[in-house]
Amino acid sequence: MSGERPALAPGHSVRVWDIPVRLTHWSFALLVPALWWSAENSQWVLHKRFGIALLGLLVFRLLWGLFGTKTAKFTSFVRGPKAVFEYLRGKSGGAVEKIGHSPLGALSVLALLAAMAVQVGTGLFAGDPYDGATGPLNSLVGVLTADALTDWHEWFVYVVLGLAAFHLSAIAFYLIVKQNDLVSPMLSGSKLVRGSVEANEPTPLVRFVAVAAIAASFTVWIANGAPPLS
Amino acid sequence: MARFDRATLPPTVLLCTVMAGCGSESASDTTAASGPEPAVIDERQANFEKIGDSFKAIRGQLEGGNPDFAAIENAATQMNAAAIATKEQFPEGTSVDDGWDTEALTTIWEKPDEFTEANQALLDASAQMITLAQNGDAEAVGGQVGAVGSSCKGCHDNFRLETD
Repeated sequence: MSGERPALAPGHSVRVWDIPVRLTHWSFALLVPALWWSAENSQWVLHKRFGIALLGLLVFRLLWGLFGTKTAKFTSFVRGPKAVFEYLRGKSGGAVEKIGHSPLGALSVLALLAAMAVQVGTGLFAGDPYDGATGPLNSLVGVLTADALTDWHEWFVYVVLGLAAFHLSAIAFYLIVKQNDLVSPMLSGSKLVRGSVEANEPTPLVRFVAVAAIAASFTVWIANGAPPLS
Repeated sequence: MARFDRATLPPTVLLCTVMAGCGSESASDTTAASGPEPAVIDERQANFEKIGDSFKAIRGQLEGGNPDFAAIENAATQMNAAAIATKEQFPEGTSVDDGWDTEALTTIWEKPDEFTEANQALLDASAQMITLAQNGDAEAVGGQVGAVGSSCKGCHDNFRLETD
């Protein structure tokens, strides 16, 4: 919070989040409540479609975390416990403004992605063919395994919702207490800064399409029950 | 951290809207029916859970390669008892069209003879399962799984709300 800073040009806008990061983020924000609603209301056709969509987005986001732009890459934002601790003590910022996930926010990203992955993963095997809807991979496991995974799927949703609630609270805290609006950059892709900050790369469209095609192919394969290849 | 007077209001509004949206989610269970939900609806749902669990237990035994026929007989006996219990669990006015949180279609009361027949199919299939388990023939028990499954499906297809 160093207020004594040399007078600089008025804030200028720098690129922070690429298009795929924003698209996946807001899709998660819509799909998680939609999945919850569809399950609560026994809308299993919708629930399965939303679940497959979430699978595709998760696979895409994980790949984009390897091949995406700087602020999308896991290697650029996942930090060790030391960095998280220093961030919590307010030491890490210094005079240099940074873009992208904070060391603490990175943990939140990982937790949310992992929780959604567990939820989607158990959902793929959930259900009972003699009693309503089943996930596309249900027949690959035994009835008791499927039953255990269904139980997991039913309680683990509260972990997902709990993390989402925590995520919203953190955003509210940053907005109200720290006067730091995290929502606008996630919508527009850029944020206002005063200092000199290295902006994120623009969205590499060819790479975006290629990674999306891989994620989509994989997802279609899973949605069809993972049939043997060749 | 730099502070900007950039519009913080729209995001605040957005955030509140999202949170409010989450809050109202739980209100989706409201029914059009008046008065408290008949207790029999929960009872019969628990009873069908029991039937489903018994069936899973039987299929689970067969998957192991070394089935415990006493466990299969026990599960089939529970299934049979639960099938009998359903006979008393469908009083008039407890359908989904009456506004309750249930998948029981009105066809149950419109076609009572067919409903009874569908119930009888489960009674017969589970009784036969008990006999086969007592004989200890894994192949016969495995074949009977199909018969039990058909009786489940036979009733679901005609009398249970389609949700999948």
